Amino acid sequence: MNKVEIDWTRCDGHGLCAGLLPDDVVLDEWGFPVLRGREITAGELPDARRAVLACPALALRLSSR
Amino acid sequence: MTTIDSPASLRSAGLEGERHRVIGDARVLAGLDQGRLDLQRHLLTHGPQPELTRDDYVQLCEAVGLRGRGGAAFPVALKLQDLPARGVEAVVVNGSESEPVSRKDRLLLTRSPHLVLDGAVGLAHALRAPHVLIAVHDPAAATSLREALMERDDQLAIEVRDTPGRFVAGEARAVLSVLEGGTAVPPGRRVLPTRRGYHRRPTFLSNVETFAQLAVLARLGSRGFSSTGLTSEPGTQLLTIDGAVQRPGVIETPTGVPLDTVLQYAGAEPGPVLLGGYHGRWLPQTDGVLLQRPEVSAGIILALGSGTCPLGEVTRVAEWLRSQSAGQCGPCVFGLASLVDDFARLTIGDSQGWYDAQRHLGLIPGRGACAHPDGAARFLTSALEVFDDDVRRHLSGQGCGRPVLGVLPVPGGTR
Repeated sequence: MNKVEIDWTRCDGHGLCAGLLPDDVVLDEWGFPVLRGREITAGELPDARRAVLACPALALRLSSR
Repeated sequence: MTTIDSPASLRSAGLEGERHRVIGDARVLAGLDQGRLDLQRHLLTHGPQPELTRDDYVQLCEAVGLRGRGGAAFPVALKLQDLPARGVEAVVVNGSESEPVSRKDRLLLTRSPHLVLDGAVGLAHALRAPHVLIAVHDPAAATSLREALMERDDQLAIEVRDTPGRFVAGEARAVLSVLEGGTAVPPGRRVLPTRRGYHRRPTFLSNVETFAQLAVLARLGSRGFSSTGLTSEPGTQLLTIDGAVQRPGVIETPTGVPLDTVLQYAGAEPGPVLLGGYHGRWLPQTDGVLLQRPEVSAGIILALGSGTCPLGEVTRVAEWLRSQSAGQCGPCVFGLASLVDDFARLTIGDSQGWYDAQRHLGLIPGRGACAHPDGAARFLTSALEVFDDDVRRHLSGQGCGRPVLGVLPVPGGTR
């Protein structure tokens, strides 16, 4: 049960997450991420972790609920 | 029905516009017909606060289905049950009434401060919380509270703190941030004050009116409290009515009173009605609407009347909502700015403005640290639905032929 989450107070719209997780994140017209909101499958987990680490603003998180 | 207007002495004391009325029995507004209740008059009116245990409070709140009166309408019993058995750090009274139209909390704090203090102190004793903090942003409310505190000895650390007046600064976690010396903005992580609040310790935080209702509930018991109002959520509620009405101000009514009764009572002009303030919704019609939580939110009712241009009014409020963003979250900052532009364009007949507004309204909700973008989007979405005919007339290029009178109060605006 993993999902990506955004801390909106940190996100500055760098957009790396959309490049690394194109199936889960798209960018809106201002360059901020729009989450598809679906579960991250076990196979996608390494990519999701990479995206979390790549976020320059430390705004992306993986939540397990 | 009884009508109570504020005496001339209070009007001259800078409390003009703090008129209040009561439909049915006065409970939280009891005894205010002769002005502010000092400790002696408070005790004569309400009697002493009974000492109850934490279990008593949970049972009472559960029995009457009491909900928070700040807008989110969260059940108080659930909030109490979420607190740990020991180690509750503080009870926080959120009096930073940041909805610009709302006057109910200010009225309670300036006129009946002891009732609010009884509610907060009684609960703090029951929870064994060593601190009571009251966050206010109105100087008259702060003065009234400090005067009231001089009259009583509660064996607790009670503090009155001033907070900024910005809309978003009234959000619960923003209030906690200010109380700890931080900035008045909501944090990025969604943590519950009942788990990590003041001093990062479990905290019970609620709106001013909630504490006044708790004080009344402790005195009346669940049966007495339930003698009026809805069966699902009995008791009374405070409403603030403003806009195109002859008698604006705060009204105490039983819960579930019909909206039309309140509109008639306040002398509202016929026309569209906004329920729940600037995070609320425009109503397609008023008949059959009962005033209850969560729809009534913090109890704000605004009548627009028929002489003003609805789209122009809504655009003014949109501009104000944009200015009240804390500026932390991109979708709120850019989204609200875009929406102000979209509404301005559709008002002058640019149909692209309508399409852009629809797209932007879909992009904003759920994408911020607090509910400000969601509330603003709700307000604007309902405006486009309810004022559909006006939108068509504006898009035809002719406009609706009415001036923008500024019926909807906007702080720092023309009214």
